[in-house]
Amino acid sequence: MQNQNEITFETRDMITIITINGDLTVVSEAPLKKAYNNANDCGVSKILLDFDPEAYINSGGIALIIQLLGEARKRNQMVGITGLSEHFKKVFSMVGVTKYARVYASVDEAIAAMSPAS
Amino acid sequence: MKAVKKSSEIMRMLDERTLEINLPNKIGYERIAMECSSSFAKLVGFSRDRIDDLKTAVSEACLNAMEHGNRWRSDARVIITMNFENDTFSVSVEDEGEGILDMPDEPDIDRKLDLLQTPRGMGIYIIKQLVDEVELNQRTKQGHVLRMILRMTAK
Repeated sequence: MQNQNEITFETRDMITIITINGDLTVVSEAPLKKAYNNANDCGVSKILLDFDPEAYINSGGIALIIQLLGEARKRNQMVGITGLSEHFKKVFSMVGVTKYARVYASVDEAIAAMSPAS
Repeated sequence: MKAVKKSSEIMRMLDERTLEINLPNKIGYERIAMECSSSFAKLVGFSRDRIDDLKTAVSEACLNAMEHGNRWRSDARVIITMNFENDTFSVSVEDEGEGILDMPDEPDIDRKLDLLQTPRGMGIYIIKQLVDEVELNQRTKQGHVLRMILRMTAK
């Protein structure tokens, strides 16, 4: 019943973009952890989480992001977020996620803001 | 004592203003209630923003009912009743549990990142932020009801 995520990552301008295709719920835990761990194996310091604007996101999924932020903080990694609908930008802000992960309007804007020269 | 409803009907209109949905206690099925609430709210003229608020609130309420009220029991059901009257949309989510005995703390991102608070437990808080009124721990013969109210004008 639950949509399975396809979570991929790539690196652009020294920023690792973790693209979360599909919904973000508790079912996303394994693929999200795998993508994050794979990214860490490449020694990243900047991570951009790129969401699907049509995604269904619930509090179980947001909890996974909070856990990822905790791990990123331990590793002194910068985290950005893009791709969220206006509604979920509001919800992420509501629970404090945006205190530790800046929200950008697009991948390009995020890369420009997060790149080493900025 | 009224028997627990085990109807096979998933959805029915109780009258032209009231829709009832009877869901199995399985993760993922909350999306049926979300889409129904969205369609109903759109039909009666709610804005896109308010509909998004409603969908998320319904999702969180259903998931709470399934997990905490019904404890993921496969034989339990979640009954959602939606009504629109006098510019007010109300959604009641009924489970077979005892109610919210231990209200979760308000989410604190710093405490969560410091592992002093569970990363979960945000559902009730999110609901309260998104709807105009929330009534918790209403008891019925079947169990517990969480009721949410949205009015036509945005919060």
